[in-house]
Amino acid sequence: MRFPELARRFLELEPRLAEGPEKEALSLLHAMLQELWREVGARPGEREGLEALRNLYKKAPKMEAPRVAPGLSVGERAPDFALPDAQDNLVRLSDFRGRPVVLVFYPLDWSPGCSQQLDLYQAELPEFERRNAVLLGISVDSIYCHGAFAFARGLTFPLLADFHPKGEVARRYRVWREEDGFSERALFVVDPEGVIRYAHVSPYLHHIPPIEELFQALDALRRE
Amino acid sequence: MEPVVLYGTSWCAQTQLLRRLLERLGVPYRYVDLEAHPEVHPTLRFLTGGRLSHPVVYVGGEVLVEPTPAELERALWRRGYLWW
Repeated sequence: MRFPELARRFLELEPRLAEGPEKEALSLLHAMLQELWREVGARPGEREGLEALRNLYKKAPKMEAPRVAPGLSVGERAPDFALPDAQDNLVRLSDFRGRPVVLVFYPLDWSPGCSQQLDLYQAELPEFERRNAVLLGISVDSIYCHGAFAFARGLTFPLLADFHPKGEVARRYRVWREEDGFSERALFVVDPEGVIRYAHVSPYLHHIPPIEELFQALDALRRE
Repeated sequence: MEPVVLYGTSWCAQTQLLRRLLERLGVPYRYVDLEAHPEVHPTLRFLTGGRLSHPVVYVGGEVLVEPTPAELERALWRRGYLWW
């Protein structure tokens, strides 16, 4: 194939180009060429409809504020709760006693970090299942919003509505952001006896901790 | 064959998603953390039309800016990194 060779020569020339409009024009031309690949390769309709909805977050307002709430600590008992999922089934933390539970507090459905974070967990669902872990997403969105969000993204694990009284469970876990009216991005691994064994509140709202940390926390529980 | 290179950050969910996809597909790749390697920023900006976004994946001469998993897989097929 000739393409990789041409691309390599193009790349090698970059450090020798003087800064200025000519270099910027070449950069833009190169980026346009790359975007063409994306468009040519897509199946008809692939970038419209539901896919466009799924990708709305890429143009949405950013959510990058620093952490304000500390979250509960490792070793503390995880407060029990009863919250409805998208089908209005009441889900209690204590329903899962005997299994590890991963609580995923996230700010809002459809927002940039949350969409990507939940996509990642959905793609890795077999890894959670292999560890017998239950995955529960929690935000202040309504059950109907959760239903639409989960459908659009193909999320199959429960999303719970901490909707009324708004953010009550997030407050109990000390991850509530009063000024914003939504929670921190926070993860808790609760062991089969109901004790928090891993806790992480993102230092910035758009930061998602490496998923390997979660798997390590779950694996540590299994080794005990 | 040139190695696939993935530029990203450790806290970016999309970076993590694509890294794990490459690992599942068995495609060897080099990971460059953009926070640990600011020296690559100018070249990356040049290749992406001025925007330093993440993840960016270099696949046999193609520069994919924040690709979906499907877009990355298609580029891997197109450039001969997948063949079964």
